[in-house]
This record gives sequence, structure tokens and C-alpha cells, in this order.
Amino acid sequence: MNIIKSTESLHEILFLFLEVGLILGSLGVVILTNIVYSAFFLALVFVCISLLYLLLNADFVATAQILIYVGAINILIVFAVMLINKPQSFNFFPSWTTGDGITCAACTGLFFLLITTISDTSWSEIYLVTQSNNIVEQDLGGNIQRIGYLLLTEFLLPFELLSIILLVALIGAITVARREKILEIRVKSQALQAKEDFPTS
Amino acid sequence: MLEHALNLGAYLFCIGIFGLITSRNMVRALMCLELLFNAVNINLVTFSNYFDTEQLKGEIFSIFVIAIAAAEAAIGLAIVLAIHRNRGSTRIDQLDLLKW
Repeated sequence: MNIIKSTESLHEILFLFLEVGLILGSLGVVILTNIVYSAFFLALVFVCISLLYLLLNADFVATAQILIYVGAINILIVFAVMLINKPQSFNFFPSWTTGDGITCAACTGLFFLLITTISDTSWSEIYLVTQSNNIVEQDLGGNIQRIGYLLLTEFLLPFELLSIILLVALIGAITVARREKILEIRVKSQALQAKEDFPTS
Repeated sequence: MLEHALNLGAYLFCIGIFGLITSRNMVRALMCLELLFNAVNINLVTFSNYFDTEQLKGEIFSIFVIAIAAAEAAIGLAIVLAIHRNRGSTRIDQLDLLKW
């Protein structure tokens, strides 16, 4: 009992740390004007979210979060920032227009609406209902084994469709990113041809 | 713990929407889109952990969402690169290619 209590409090403390990291990191992503800093704050947010998944007993999703978000998406974003970004003037607080104020008010209103909804809902009753529905117990070992089993039996079609989507996204990204030069060459050759056709004009 | 996690997801969602509306840089808008996906994923994993410990369907759906987000980020950054090459800027309010 004592051990359970201490792990509970440890969970609470870890959760508080993750909460602070998430709040500050997401604020940094939105508010900071230098976009490189916000990319690195985004990495901090992703790492905190994956630790949160670990606290919620979702090992596989935490690993996938680290691998895909921090390892792939964030690196991609930093790469795009390096390709695109021009050095800008360093003012840490951007100009605050009225549209920003209206959006901020709307978002805080939405946030408080969501919070009141969450605190009003009686989660214990829902928990009892779902527990009474779960009569059929299938013990398939750990978390990862169960996810693999479900992915290859019940969710087989979405899984395969997902691989097709990833392939299409890969090819589409390559095509979109390199199409410009071909178009330019074609337009130039057409212009040259038009000039040769009508040399007087 | 459940309500804390749900509040955290709501907070991330609101911050993501705020950044998505107010950001003037396309790359920052994509970052805020990733924040939105992560808020949804936090909700899915939380509900899967507390209410559906036998089936884990929420975790599987969050894996699907992560994969779709990876594809979306690749396509979005490719579009940003193409637009930057064409127009020389990535500001959202200057992208009026499809206007008239």
C-alpha cells in the first residue's frame, strides 16, 4: 500500500513537471518571433508528450512519438526553416493587432468552455458503464503484443491503406518540391519557340 | 489524473488554434497544426488508458493519426518549398495565387 502511494505521488510530481514543460513549450512555439527557437520548443513539446504517454501506460505510442515526431517531422521542419528562413530583426514580442486580440479572446473562451465541460462530466459513471461492458477478457500479453495482434487482424485494411497513403505522400512530396524547374524550362523553351515563329514581333 | 490530461489536451488544442490563425509564417502554421494533432492524440491515448484497457483501440487510432501527420508534414513542407521558390516569401497573407 505504501509503495503504491509513493508511486502515485511520483506520478503526480512527474505529471506536474511535464505539464509545466508542455505549457511553456507550446507558448514558446506560438509567441517567439524567431522561428528557429519555436522549432526547438516544438521538439521539447514532443518529448514531453511522449513522456506523458509513458505515464499513461502507452509504451508503443511513446516510442512512435519519439521516433516519428522528434526524429522525422521536427528534423524536417528545422530543415525547411534553414532552407527558407531569412535573418530577421530580433524583436521578441511581435506587433499585436486587433485580430490577434480577438483570436486570443476566442481561444481562451473555447479553453474555459472545454474545461468546464471536462469538470462537469462525471467520469466515474462512464467508467462503471465501460467496465460492465467489458465482460469478454482476452489476455494477449503486453501492450505491444496486443497492438500488433489488433493491427494485423481487426485493423488490417486501414493498416495497408496507411502504407499506400505514406507511399503517395512520399512521391507527391518529391514531385511538388522539384516540379518548378521542369516547368520553368518548358516555359522558356515555349517562349523561345514563339520568338522563332514570329521574329518580327 | 484523467481530468488533468484532458485539460492538457484542451490547452494544447487552444494554443494550436491560436497559433494557426495568427501566425504569418507558413512553417509556423504547420508547427501549430502538429500541436493540434498532438492534442487529439493525448485525448485518444488518455481515454484508451482509462476506459478501454482491454482493446486499446485508442492507441491504434493514435498511431494512425501519427502516420497521417507525418505524411501531412512532408506534403506541407514540399508545398512551402515550392511556393518559396516561386514567390520568394512564405508569408501566409501574401499567398494570393488562387485569389481571382
